Amino acid sequence: MDDQACPRCKTTKYRNPSLKLMVNICGHALCESCVDLLFLKGSGSCPDCNVPLRRSNFRVQLFEDSMVEKEMDIRKRVLKDFNKKEEDFATLREYNDYLEEIEVIIYNLVNNIDVVGTNKRIEQYKKDNKELIMKNKAKIGREEIELEEILENEKQMEEFRRQEIAKMEDEAKKQKIREKEALIDELMFADGDAKDILNTFAQTVANKQEEVVPLLPKVTQFSSGVKFTRGSSQALPIIEEGPLYKYEPLEIPDRCGPDPPSLEEIMKNGFLHHVRAENETEKAGGYTSTLPCLRALQDALSGLYHAS
Amino acid sequence: MEEPISRYEKIDFLGEGQFATVYKARDVKTDKIVAVKKIKIGSRLEAQDGINRTALREIKLLQELQHINLIGLLDVFGQKSNVSLVFDFMDTDLEIVIKDSSIVLTPANVKSYMIMTLKGLEYLHQNWILHRDLKPNNLLINREGILKIGDFGLAKAFGSPSRINTHQVVTRWYRSPELLFGARQYGTGVDMWAVGCILAELLLRVPFLPGESDLDQLSRIFQVFGTPTEEIWPGMKTLTDYVQYKQFPAQQLRHIFSAAADDLIQLLESLLALYPPRRCDCTQALMMPYFSNKPAPSLGPKLPMPSNVTKIEVEKPSLKRKLLDNIDGGSLAKRLQF
Repeated sequence: MDDQACPRCKTTKYRNPSLKLMVNICGHALCESCVDLLFLKGSGSCPDCNVPLRRSNFRVQLFEDSMVEKEMDIRKRVLKDFNKKEEDFATLREYNDYLEEIEVIIYNLVNNIDVVGTNKRIEQYKKDNKELIMKNKAKIGREEIELEEILENEKQMEEFRRQEIAKMEDEAKKQKIREKEALIDELMFADGDAKDILNTFAQTVANKQEEVVPLLPKVTQFSSGVKFTRGSSQALPIIEEGPLYKYEPLEIPDRCGPDPPSLEEIMKNGFLHHVRAENETEKAGGYTSTLPCLRALQDALSGLYHAS
Repeated sequence: MEEPISRYEKIDFLGEGQFATVYKARDVKTDKIVAVKKIKIGSRLEAQDGINRTALREIKLLQELQHINLIGLLDVFGQKSNVSLVFDFMDTDLEIVIKDSSIVLTPANVKSYMIMTLKGLEYLHQNWILHRDLKPNNLLINREGILKIGDFGLAKAFGSPSRINTHQVVTRWYRSPELLFGARQYGTGVDMWAVGCILAELLLRVPFLPGESDLDQLSRIFQVFGTPTEEIWPGMKTLTDYVQYKQFPAQQLRHIFSAAADDLIQLLESLLALYPPRRCDCTQALMMPYFSNKPAPSLGPKLPMPSNVTKIEVEKPSLKRKLLDNIDGGSLAKRLQF
């Protein structure tokens, strides 16, 4: 650890204990103040390999070997697109081949072997599997959210249980004190034999303990009930109360004429005999002869009354 | 006649389409904000036929239609050789709402959008007009949360026994299977299918059937609903552009829409029935239990709105300042510790 040094300003961990090494995508390290200096002019490139860098891509170096850092970066990037799961493959063999391919790509990128070709390969893969990648991404996102939900839930339960136990312990302590006081009172003022009194007290205490023991599982059950109430207090928008929807037929404008027959009347009273019946193709397209019949009758009957 | 040009004060440029440019403007007379759609005159070849066909359709149809859930045509004016249409100003549209990942759409919100869409469409169909271009982009929403169907450039009267219609209508993702098979005579089913796709998109927050070509569109449809047989869809093989597809098994809609309740699945199945005569119409749809069941639809002002306000970034202390602080502060002293 002591030989950790910034390659640019040569500061070592020994001389500056607060030295923080940062790495970027190229895998070369820089110390925090050198990073700040690098971006003072706006943009900067790696002093080692001249690759243009972005400030946001700098991370604190976790591993001593910066190659590991570089691989982590590359792996993260590659796996974002190569996100197929075992279920997406027909055979285990195919899945293994796929995993192998990923490893080859990562290895090539880390060790600068045929970078252009490998990048092309990634692009090609992305193009071929665009849809699946999107789908899997959405799936992973959903799984993550669910997982977080569960974790959050567990935390909440844990907290609740802890409080409950603390409360019970407190209660038990108080109870004990009360009992002791009662015993002393009894011994002081009762006229019976002290031994008898002690015995009866020991018995009641034992009985009480038996009573307390079965209480415990009840409490855990209740804490699972807490999950239920928490669900409604989640940050979801509050469901606004409005009136329930009830269908109301459209207002028909004044036709200035007699009411045209309804669809049922058209079918029943033989109006359709006077209209060319739809053929098979028309019916398959969603057209029926009731449409022109209905429309023609509506048109014919509207505006019949004289309107001044 | 008063000068129309001076009646509308241009405020902002809103967007440009194939046939028109849209501006936000203020009506000086009523002091209302409106949208002015200026029709492009196009090339000489187009101009010799007179006014652009889509504009003519919009003027012709919208003049006679009036419904809370249809975009209102307020005025039409000419200026030199240009024609401009004046519409209600709408703040956003359903596509923006769906794509905005910061918006949470509750079941009540979805129900409210569907009711407004179906009510507008019911009125349209009752007046014998097919919209033929329903998609989230054409469902406009104003800041009161009222949804209005817009863009009547492809709308047309239907129910004529002899007139042949083109099947090249409706944006592909929302196009019904009979149109994709080249039906020339069709009914309200084409709009209902599109409504079904929009409902699915409201639930999934991504387009439900994003086909890359007309053939791909059909194959996507059949992958979900199963390839229809002659029993399911009589006369399918007589349609002009019918092609045989691979036999796909039908999927359960409740597996695709895992969060949807049974009443909602019932509505989806009825809107997205493959055989057009089996598809419900607007009135039937609105009478389905989904709409009268709980949760009640959100009221207009409670509907979510995209935040067009640009967020101001939290001011970071400048880098130089930070460096100086570092040097003045403890770090320099530490560095000199030997």
